[in-house]
Amino acid sequence: MISPELKKVILEQLNLDDFDIQDETIAPQVPGWDSLNHINIILAVEKHFGVKFKSIELLRLKCVGELQKLVDSKLGK
Amino acid sequence: MINFSLDLNEQKTLWQRWVYNARNNPDREAIVHWVAGEEPFRWNYKKLIDTARKYSAFIKAAGVEKDQVCAIIIRHNPFFYPIYLGVSRTGALPAVLAYPNPRLHPDKFRQGIEGMSQRSGLHYILTERELEPLITPLVEKPGSTIKKILFPLEWALDNEIDYKIDSEIEAVSNSIFSTEPVLLQHSSGTTGLQKPVMLSHLAINRHITALGKALKLTPEDKIVNWLPLYHDFGLIAAFLIPLTLGVPTVHMDPFQWVIAPVILLEAITKEKGTITCLPNFAYNIMADKIPDEELRGIDLSSVRTVLNGSEPIRHYSHQRFVDRFSKYGLKPNVLACVYGMAEITMALVVTELGKPITELVVDRNELAKGILKFADEYSVKRYCVSSGRLIEGCKAKVVDENKNELSTGSVGEFVVSSQSMFDGYRNYPEKTAEVLKEGWFLSGDYGFIYNDEFFVIGRKKDIIIVAGKNIYPEDIEDAVNQAQGVIPGRVIAFGQDDETMGTELVSVVAETKVETEAEKNKVRMAVLRAGMSIDVNISKVYLVPPRWLIKSSAGKPSRKANKERLIEGTDPSVWSR
Repeated sequence: MISPELKKVILEQLNLDDFDIQDETIAPQVPGWDSLNHINIILAVEKHFGVKFKSIELLRLKCVGELQKLVDSKLGK
Repeated sequence: MINFSLDLNEQKTLWQRWVYNARNNPDREAIVHWVAGEEPFRWNYKKLIDTARKYSAFIKAAGVEKDQVCAIIIRHNPFFYPIYLGVSRTGALPAVLAYPNPRLHPDKFRQGIEGMSQRSGLHYILTERELEPLITPLVEKPGSTIKKILFPLEWALDNEIDYKIDSEIEAVSNSIFSTEPVLLQHSSGTTGLQKPVMLSHLAINRHITALGKALKLTPEDKIVNWLPLYHDFGLIAAFLIPLTLGVPTVHMDPFQWVIAPVILLEAITKEKGTITCLPNFAYNIMADKIPDEELRGIDLSSVRTVLNGSEPIRHYSHQRFVDRFSKYGLKPNVLACVYGMAEITMALVVTELGKPITELVVDRNELAKGILKFADEYSVKRYCVSSGRLIEGCKAKVVDENKNELSTGSVGEFVVSSQSMFDGYRNYPEKTAEVLKEGWFLSGDYGFIYNDEFFVIGRKKDIIIVAGKNIYPEDIEDAVNQAQGVIPGRVIAFGQDDETMGTELVSVVAETKVETEAEKNKVRMAVLRAGMSIDVNISKVYLVPPRWLIKSSAGKPSRKANKERLIEGTDPSVWSR
């Protein structure tokens, strides 16, 4: 499940008040989340959670649920 | 040394030149197919040509004939290259199209293909099985020009090539004249605005020589490329030119690059790349978005040229790029610029390699009036970056609105002529006649020439260039007109420069009757979704009350006037987010 904290970081970066983001949500379904903006979202997530992703980890991500899992694994959850 | 003086009567088609390379240097590396985290797939010339021959036999057996148009819609795949070559061998015309992004509405994708079909007479679509349900309705539609969908990635390449078919293809291939078309380049667009640029073997061969010389290509070079091959910068500069001149190229997936831009630097480091081509926004992304930890082990000392093209060149983007990567071995004088257009195959001008790029600091306000005046202490400054000098076989002049030639230093429209000029837009004589006057192509780009160097400062057309991709505002306006809460026909779209991203971003202004904050946010979401349906990211939405938009003399909302009013003004009735 997507944590409210991760959802907030994503929505803030995309300048959206709300949007239904689920585990299986993929970037192209979210307004503003295009390939050019993707890297900004990732950097915002890294900054907020104090984590660093490797490029190969980012390339494997298929949906927001996988991003959540990656954040959790970095935080030792 | 590359032999730039090949007899083009002997090697009259691209296929003959590729075969020539395979005969003379069979083991030479041609293409390195790069996927992050995997061992690269390496094509030498012999293997590439042998595989292309097999594909050509399948293509011929499927019914494809000379001069028919074959759209290739395939994701990053090592077999894309021999498929492209195989189509070319049969005398059919390959046209590389972008694989649809999941955000693109299926109807909009079909509309785009249909527009191309009606315009260029698309005959076959070579694609992946996943797109079958999406494309089949187009084939079955009454009057469709599309005969069949082919799935070349499923063809078994183990069997020997059928001698009879191979001989037939060889005969057709050998009968092709250099002046006959070799490929189609499509501009983007979904509402029938696409213009299929038709290029001949001769045009491309001449361009290969001219640009190859301007870039001082040698067999020791290695190009590392992430640009998509449906884009002319990628197709011509990073695929056809090196392949034909025997310069190996590393191709990576544009989608992987944009997620993890460091992979370009990793590939350059591992493969000792010497040249890479980047649209301007990529300089910003590379300079600003890669963490230091990712750059451990990166060595850019092998790079001799980083070529900036396909969107306006920005002084700060270059500066940030060099500042960031000089400590990783990047030499400051590797930066170079190119400007051109698909209608002359690709390049018109290139800056001198290995030398600093000329930059002029001019008075922005005077320039807006069409006057070149160097900045003084009272000026609002604008950096104009040179795009270079004419390459061999090209001519250009700057003209005013009446097409009268202007003197050096005056701002006007570039009109160009080239030995590698297109043969017109396919099946579109009226559009060709609009832009081609007595052998001169009206570029629609504004700028000036100073000391024989070309400075591009704007566009006559309203095209928006986002990250090197051309977007027609009409497409966005059509989509946004359907959005709930927007008054139909009262919408304009335009590009707004974004210095942080180093590119333009799309803004939309729409008239609406809604008044509350909550309602306006709803309309904004509807506008954003409308953009998504045509795979365009709208970065800023302006909502204005009815009858706010200024009309042009034609009675339509004027993009230029309204953009200026929005950017300059502080009208409290304008809502934006």
